[in-house]
Amino acid sequence: MIARIGGGVLGAGRAARELWIVYVSTLAGVLRRGGARGELVRQLHAIGNKSLLFIVVTLGFIGMVMAYEACNQLGRITGDYSQVGGQFIRLIVSDFGPTLTAMMLATRVGAGIAAEIGSMKVTEQIDALRMSGVLPIDYLIVPRFLASMIMTLVLSVIGGLVMFGAGGLTAEHSFGVNPNVFYDFGQVRPRHLILMCIKGLAYGAAIPVVAGFCGLRARGSSEGVGWATTAAVIGGSFAVIVLDFVISAAALFLTGGDL
Amino acid sequence: MTDTRTTAYVEFKGVEKGFAGKAVLKGMNLAVDKGEVMFIIGTSGVGKSVTIKHLIGLLRIDAGEIWFDGKRVDQLPERQLAPLRKRIGMVFQSSTLFDSMTLAENVALPLRKHQRLGWDASIEQARIRLAQVYMAEHADRYPAELSDGMRKRAAIARTLALEPEVVLFDEPTTGLDPVSARRIDRLIRELADKLGVTAIVVSHDPPSIFGIADRVAFLYRGIVHVVATPAELRGSPDPIVQQFIGGKSSGPMETPGF
Repeated sequence: MIARIGGGVLGAGRAARELWIVYVSTLAGVLRRGGARGELVRQLHAIGNKSLLFIVVTLGFIGMVMAYEACNQLGRITGDYSQVGGQFIRLIVSDFGPTLTAMMLATRVGAGIAAEIGSMKVTEQIDALRMSGVLPIDYLIVPRFLASMIMTLVLSVIGGLVMFGAGGLTAEHSFGVNPNVFYDFGQVRPRHLILMCIKGLAYGAAIPVVAGFCGLRARGSSEGVGWATTAAVIGGSFAVIVLDFVISAAALFLTGGDL
Repeated sequence: MTDTRTTAYVEFKGVEKGFAGKAVLKGMNLAVDKGEVMFIIGTSGVGKSVTIKHLIGLLRIDAGEIWFDGKRVDQLPERQLAPLRKRIGMVFQSSTLFDSMTLAENVALPLRKHQRLGWDASIEQARIRLAQVYMAEHADRYPAELSDGMRKRAAIARTLALEPEVVLFDEPTTGLDPVSARRIDRLIRELADKLGVTAIVVSHDPPSIFGIADRVAFLYRGIVHVVATPAELRGSPDPIVQQFIGGKSSGPMETPGF
């Protein structure tokens, strides 16, 4: 029993060390401009453009549900809907937009990266890359890292706007809230926009590093790739939630609670 | 430190390697001379592929030494392995071509990275290399569009593009039809005879083993059980060797998992 717990702890420690090495190697790859420019463009398209519909649809639905629930609760308590839109966009900008977008990307993009790198690992293509004089992290993770950072931020903005727009339509049709009252950006402060950028970039950096790390740890055959894909989705989502907590807590601390 | 330098071109000395606590290589010794075609044979999972991957740093040994051309190579850090990987090429068991690249781009990649050739020059060189394995007309096709044999030949062209002194072949004829397999055999033999390339071939394929090998190392229970010429192997009185080369299901040989 003790040996099993000890083994688990040692395994987790080794995994954490390897994840750290992948992260540092990725940053080093970015600094030495590793990775081909053409691959970056391809990844921007694969991560950004191909996720657009998915993000728009999911965040649109979430925006509708959240706005409906908010209006429903407010209607029971005060019946005053004048603040609901302003508070909603403030929350979207400072948290829901980037966090929900990243959670969605962790499933779609994280799974894709882990499956691709994992299959390359088990079919020895990673070894073939090393034999060709290519650093696998530069070639495989660096372009995805940069593309994911850029596109998570862009999709967070688009997803947040769709969420707000869909929420406004729901509020108007279900509760008769005037769109001019709902679509109120007055409560969004520069610090919220900065927080959105920090979260978008941090999530965008975490997803491909976690997914790439899981892919590089794939062993055996298709079962190993399946494990890597599952681990990437769980790990990516977990990383987003932990980063959300850490960044939000740091922001509250730095602003003295006035966020 | 004791000077354990060797006169062999490639030498594995007391190599040990285990995975998840299970020992695979248990003090393996093997010396390969320059220009010879050395086959490594043995049952599945005995550590044949693992052995050759150690030579180029794709796997790290747990104990022992590996020497190449008078230099110890098992302790080289990843950054210093690039020059070694120019001199020692490897053809993997699955062809390992990159799906997103054409054959020419696949072959050009090591030329750009190792020899710092530009894009156009590397593609031009790649076309020449593909022509040498009779794949010139397929240079602009993607790996998924080709048969296993064609992919294998393109992978060989990619490995040979850097003109390595040693080529490691991991089961080069597995999964190929007999005609394609014998063509690969002929290519390996020609590399050794015409260009002086040293070939270390992991194989299960008797026609290859007895057709082109200069010597054969039989790996059994984590060590090299015997090193012999194909003729010596055929005449060996060792019952384990006879069981293996005769492909007999019953005999003294331990086959884990069966």
